[in-house]
Amino acid sequence: MLRFYRWLLYLYPSLYRREYADEMIPVFRDAQADVSDGSFKERISFRVRETWGLLAGAVHEHIRIISGSYQLISFTRFNMRPEFRFPRSTVFLMSIIFAGVILAMEKANTIQVKYGAGSGSIWPSLPWFLGLTLLFTCATVMVVWGILFGLGRTGAHRLANIQPGPNRTN
Amino acid sequence: MEPLPLTEPVLLVLLSLAEQPRHGYSILKDVERMSGGRVKLSTGTLYGALRRLLDDAWIERIEEDESPRDRRPYRLTSRGRRNLQLEVERMRHLTKLAALRIARKEA
Repeated sequence: MLRFYRWLLYLYPSLYRREYADEMIPVFRDAQADVSDGSFKERISFRVRETWGLLAGAVHEHIRIISGSYQLISFTRFNMRPEFRFPRSTVFLMSIIFAGVILAMEKANTIQVKYGAGSGSIWPSLPWFLGLTLLFTCATVMVVWGILFGLGRTGAHRLANIQPGPNRTN
Repeated sequence: MEPLPLTEPVLLVLLSLAEQPRHGYSILKDVERMSGGRVKLSTGTLYGALRRLLDDAWIERIEEDESPRDRRPYRLTSRGRRNLQLEVERMRHLTKLAALRIARKEA
């Protein structure tokens, strides 16, 4: 598990890793030693918690670096700046969900008109639809993750912070 | 600055540091103890929270020569303590209000 943990730490931006990885590994090792005598359920719960914590943390750190400031994207109410009481990401997600619901209603209406009431059911195709949606979502998340990770590795986000040097006159 | 309502894990991290400076593992155990085993932080969540609290200058690292790099303690800054007091005050007011409302309903 320690090897897996170290591997997961590589998902973090290098700056963050340099700053905190040396501390996180011993803390993880101590916490793992605590649950090593626990029940099977406790050990599984610990592993899931640690894996999820690192994955979520890594995504959050990458987005924070790419966006340049964590004021732009706020996942939770942890953001302690008083000017953002309603995260913009929530508005964006709510708009997507709303559009999805409207589209689904429109689609259902079209199917009903086409086949007539009671002549068939759309439910047999539902598992396929859900499966494909899930696959599409996973693929999208992976692509976005890849782009963010790639940009983080190139250090392109740091270009905005470069200060122009003094003009040299010969 | 009036702080927003904090999440329970962050509040517990701050409360843990309010008592005394602690390093990561000590915070993890103290949070678990304070919450009666209900809140178990992962290291990723803990260090994400610590990083943000450091950025906002609510906490600071104690740079001690004798403390190893993997056991660096953290402590509350005066800003962090002030905001924690405001948050506790807000919760106290809310609890008082809730108790009053419940008592009124029962009467």
